Parts: sequence; structure tokens; C-alpha cells
Amino acid sequence: MTIYHLYIFDKLGTMMYYAEWNRTKKSGVSREEEAKLTYGMLFSIKSFVSKISPHDPREGFLFYKTNRYALHYMETPSGLKFVLYTDTAALNVKELLQQLYSKIWVEYVVRDPLWSPGTPVTSELFQTKLDEFIKQSALYSIRNI
Amino acid sequence: MSEDILFDFLHAEIVNYCLHDNNKENDFSALEYIGFNTGYRLIERLTRDAPRFKDELETMKFICTDFWTLIYKKQVDNLRTNNHGMYVVQDKAFRFLTRISTGAKQLEHAPKFVFFTCGLVRGALTNLGINSTVTAEVQTIPACKFHIEINRN
Repeated sequence: MTIYHLYIFDKLGTMMYYAEWNRTKKSGVSREEEAKLTYGMLFSIKSFVSKISPHDPREGFLFYKTNRYALHYMETPSGLKFVLYTDTAALNVKELLQQLYSKIWVEYVVRDPLWSPGTPVTSELFQTKLDEFIKQSALYSIRNI
Repeated sequence: MSEDILFDFLHAEIVNYCLHDNNKENDFSALEYIGFNTGYRLIERLTRDAPRFKDELETMKFICTDFWTLIYKKQVDNLRTNNHGMYVVQDKAFRFLTRISTGAKQLEHAPKFVFFTCGLVRGALTNLGINSTVTAEVQTIPACKFHIEINRN
């Protein structure tokens, strides 16, 4: 199991943060462009899922999977969106994202007085803590080729 | 937990309000004054069951243990004195600095987050009968040193 990369968007679709670990293939467009495309796709999937659902969609869109990778999506009540790319064997990513939000984002971004809401995160402390958190997680440690 | 976070956010907003609203980037007096009044009142509440302090050092010890624990949920890491009215209080993980990155750029912002506490300590000491000057220095985030100079006259 492995973790490729992570996007964090706010409720307006601004890319708050991007980090990558084991990503090997570049998309060929700039990071900003890629973020916009990703957000647009997620936005479409979200509305598609809620329209097409045969019953009341409680949490709505959670993840999708291709042959080679999986995309996990978590949205907080405040509209913050965490998007994590892993391989297809990854388990319990939902819990991981929940922890990432409550233990890393809330602690080191929201509680940082030098961060103003709605702006991309530049804090090195957050960067370090996020990296530690991801590398400690069980998902990161085992790599299958 | 929730009351801690409330105080942290309120403090950060007070700092912003005092420094940015009137373009007073380097004027920390308002911030210090708010701290002073808070400390002055707080000490009445804190010492209502305490006996009188024997001497100056005992008062300082009270500030470093009980007072600090109430506000910052920890004791100070180090208290030093030259026995001539100079005290240095060191906190290796000062609460208002623990969520800030360590870096030269962030270090410039550090003074904003320590002046309230300078006033707080000065106000507390004043109400205990000790006139003092309190300054702070931050060399590496999140450690902070408070210099307390007792004014004798």
C-alpha cells in the first residue's frame, strides 16, 4: 500500500495545500491547472452522485477507484475538501483523512495565528507535521510494485 | 480543551486588533496595557485562598507555578535571579508560539504574541506590591524568556 499525493481545497475551490510522496507520473500541466481540473471533476462527481442517488445520499461521494489507483475524498461540514490518492489496496483511508483533519489541519493551520483564513498554507510546521503523520501511517509504509 | 482554544483565538484577534487597525505596527503599549489590567484583576481571584507571601522570591515562585499553570496549563521551565531584583523566567514552549513555524520570517512576528503576557505579569506583580518592568525576548520559536526587573524606590 502506498500514498501518492494529497490536495486540500477550501469551500471556494482554492487550493490550500498540495503535497506528494510517491507520485511518479506528472500530469503535464502546471500544478495550478491540475488543481483546477481536479476540483472541477470533484465538483461534477459530487453533484452527479447526489442527483443520481436512488435514496438520500448521507455522505455523498467518498472515493473512486481505477485499475491502478484510488482517490479518496473527504469533505468537512465547513466545506474543506481533502483529496488523497493511494493505491487500490489502501484500507481505512476515511479514518486517516479524518485524523489528518482533526490532528494536523486544525492544530497547525487553524491554530496558527499567522495564517489568515482562505489563503494557501505556507507554514513549515504544518508541512513537517503532515509529512510525519503520513509517513507514520500504515498506508505509507508498505509499498507494492 | 475548548476553553483553551477560545482564549488562544481571542488573544490572536486582540493582537491583530491592537496592531493592525490603526497602523500601529510597532506600538505594543495597548496590548501591554490590556495584559496589565487582566493580570491586576486576575491576581485577586487567584490569591483569595493563599496566605501572604513571605518575600519577593516567594511571590516570583507563585507567578512561575500557580499563575502560569492557570493561564498556560504548564509551569515555567526555568526561573533565575541575580538576587538584585532581576529575574529571568524561561518557558521552552510558550503557548502563543507553539503553533508558529520556526523561521526568520516568523521570528519577526514573535514580539506581537508576548507583549500581552509581559503586561499580565507586570499587572499581577503590581497588585502584589511589586513595581517592575517586564520585557521579553524570543530567540528561537517556541521558547521565550521574560526579563523581570524590580523597580525599587
